[in-house]
Amino acid sequence: MDTIDAILKAALSRAAEAEVYLSTGESISAELSRDRVRIGQAGYSTGLGIRVFGDGRVGASSTNDLSRWEACLEAALTAMRLADPQPWEGLPGPVALPADPLAFDSSVTLAPGTVAGLLESMQSGAAAHAEAAVTAGSAGLSRSKVEVANTHGLRYADEETHASCSIEAIAGTSTGYEFASSHGLDLDPSWVGEQAAFFAAHGVGGEPLTPGTYDLVLSPLALAELLEAVLIPALVGRNVHAGRSRLAGRIGERIADERLSLYDDPHRRMGPGAAWFDAEGVPTRRLDLIRNGVLEGFAYDLRTAYRYGAATTGSAVRGGYGGAPSIGFHTIVLEGPVADVMAEPAVYVRSVVGAHTANTITGDFSVEVSNPSMIEGGAFTTPVRTAMWGGNVFDLLSAIEGVSAETRNIGEMVLPALRVAGQPLVG
Amino acid sequence: MYRYYDVRHVAGESTNVDIDNGVVESATTSLFDRAVVRVLGPSGWGVVSVDNYRERELERFIGEALALAGLTGEAVELAEAPHRVLPVPAPSDDPRQYGLEEKTRLLADVEEAAKGSGVRNTRAVYTERHETIRFASSEGVEYAYDLGRSGYSILAVAEQNGVVQMGYERRHAVNGFPLRTGTACGQKARETAIALLEAKAAKGGRMRVVLDPELAGVFAHEAVGHASEGDLIHEGNSVLAGRIGERIGGPGLTIVDDPSLPEFGFDPVDAEGVATQRTELVRDGVINAYMHTRETLASVGNGLAGHARGMPGEVPLVRMSNTFIENGDSSYDECLAECGTGILLIGSRGGQVDPGRGMFQFNAEFGYLVEDGALGGMVRDVSLSGEILGTLHEIALIGDDRHMHQGYCGKGGQAVAVGDGAPHILLSNAVVGGSGHD
Repeated sequence: MDTIDAILKAALSRAAEAEVYLSTGESISAELSRDRVRIGQAGYSTGLGIRVFGDGRVGASSTNDLSRWEACLEAALTAMRLADPQPWEGLPGPVALPADPLAFDSSVTLAPGTVAGLLESMQSGAAAHAEAAVTAGSAGLSRSKVEVANTHGLRYADEETHASCSIEAIAGTSTGYEFASSHGLDLDPSWVGEQAAFFAAHGVGGEPLTPGTYDLVLSPLALAELLEAVLIPALVGRNVHAGRSRLAGRIGERIADERLSLYDDPHRRMGPGAAWFDAEGVPTRRLDLIRNGVLEGFAYDLRTAYRYGAATTGSAVRGGYGGAPSIGFHTIVLEGPVADVMAEPAVYVRSVVGAHTANTITGDFSVEVSNPSMIEGGAFTTPVRTAMWGGNVFDLLSAIEGVSAETRNIGEMVLPALRVAGQPLVG
Repeated sequence: MYRYYDVRHVAGESTNVDIDNGVVESATTSLFDRAVVRVLGPSGWGVVSVDNYRERELERFIGEALALAGLTGEAVELAEAPHRVLPVPAPSDDPRQYGLEEKTRLLADVEEAAKGSGVRNTRAVYTERHETIRFASSEGVEYAYDLGRSGYSILAVAEQNGVVQMGYERRHAVNGFPLRTGTACGQKARETAIALLEAKAAKGGRMRVVLDPELAGVFAHEAVGHASEGDLIHEGNSVLAGRIGERIGGPGLTIVDDPSLPEFGFDPVDAEGVATQRTELVRDGVINAYMHTRETLASVGNGLAGHARGMPGEVPLVRMSNTFIENGDSSYDECLAECGTGILLIGSRGGQVDPGRGMFQFNAEFGYLVEDGALGGMVRDVSLSGEILGTLHEIALIGDDRHMHQGYCGKGGQAVAVGDGAPHILLSNAVVGGSGHD
């Protein structure tokens, strides 16, 4: 009997149901300090999460020391006794799922040479803008395996690979940053280096901005920062039912430009969070959140679904093995009216500083724009010294002028650049 | 062959209680065990991070880390630095003497205190963490100590006529148990949420600003602290690089980072065995010192080592601990009177800085308009931004009522406990952001 079976067997004598989540991973990475590699690093991780259920109560605990699973189970049972009972209709049983992993590339091996190569390519890319100097950078590769099992005979396993690189550059007091992340080795580290150096070099000698109302082009990164802070939490079922979402009770209402759609697509091959099953072993599926501007639905895990009479949307995720699963998303895709967003004059918002300080409920935010620049005719023109932007994320959804055809992966989202009209900026 | 190695092994347990709208969602304890082995090769570092560390594996990890150091080209040197481990203050009120059931009941009391007319949702979270830290290096430095941190947060969400606002309070302590006296915070979260329903969105622009001690502490942390971190100085990614001895603010302005203080950012010794002590980043308005690890002290100079901090299993970085502005001699009333017409900003919703660009930004929880030196209407969703090199010259008055607050600071994917503090301060010209209109 392996550890997972042993835990489930021991748990079943003291709880009605139990679930085990086991993750193991290996990684290799290296970091640049200015123009030299300063550190080479390897990592080995193991994590065990146990949940036990009985009489509507759920208890969870975790450890990274597999030899202490009995103490971990004991802690989960204690937690179960202290939790308040809630409606609960059981963990899922097994179904047949495709065996091919959606986020795995066998060519990702943990080779030091590959990591060194990523750093070198970023550095040569950055050299295209000689006035900018690299300050820091990193590259990493990882392989991980996840197993979910429960006392109904469910036992799924999934493997995942990951590659990433990032770099920072500076010219005078103008800074630039770029990164890329993928499940495969299809990164373009040279482009990553070039972009970071470009934004650093371009920002030198920024002009003061006249306070006023401007059209803005949000890069996919800036868009991700604002959506993550406000819109994404507002679509989480638990927040909706707990009175922490401005979107509560508005399904079927138009909440965005009628040309805008937002959905979670877990089966998109090599998508950021691509998976056949979620963190509770529920099969994943496409989840429409906003369709043609109309609010379509929210994301649920089992616990929230049972409690509020909804169905799970296969949206349970784990940030790691610790704690319990929570509601999240796999691969969020935003689609809108494709246009040449860079053609007409606007202020380009490369990223924003302080999105995490937005009011998560009202959607109001006040942020500093990083690397602000005037754009026109598809090109970056005059750099702007400083720009503060106050607005509201929900209002932005209706102020959309267009989105770019090309998209990129940022976190668990696949996003275009987005053009919005009439936003107040202070210099 | 290696030139140096150290291993930092952290094991312990964490407790988390989550009460959402009166329902105990979880009350759980988890166990963790992580270590990081750092080896200095002929040039730079090789590092192995492992879960579930066993000392018998050290030789193997040292060998693996040494091989990884072969990737490096940076010539890393380590400065000499004093070794000392301060005694960990005895717990004023040890959370371990209370059972998980008792903690859950106390947290429920805090959550109950946040409920009331107009409040539609409350959520209270308790966290507690105990770590046993063991360190050993090839230089023969060895130490072990236990440290605990605990605290709670309470969120109240109020609604009226479709307007939704929130009040949020948190208290944390090192080797203490603030939850035991938490109901006042629950009430305060409720009162703030209710009061904000009537507040107006702040109108942005340049103005005179009074910062309360919590926000002024975040100001010190964001505007000066990060840019004084030795690793950023070394990388050329700070506007404060090369400016030791330059005036950055008026006489009387002293900004300190002190990990040896028994506040929330306390470290009895740093993550590479170096004695922790007071570092005056700005002394009497002049840039005085940087914060360092042994490595950045060797490469940059000007300052003190003892500022290496890391999460379990992670490579330690130069980090702040307890960062504060020293008291001046003005009263709160004098700050308001001298402000005349402007804004008073209260509480922190977090901040961020780009040290290379020299720009920082942070958000207040709320504020009050100041009219003729007196408090006017309440405003919400208000932020402040500025340039590191110019802003400190705008400090017109420094209060005499310094107070420390607790928080967590993120850098390089690692969050560490920090204390920030200051007295009330008056800025004669600052950029305030808000979405309000005339």
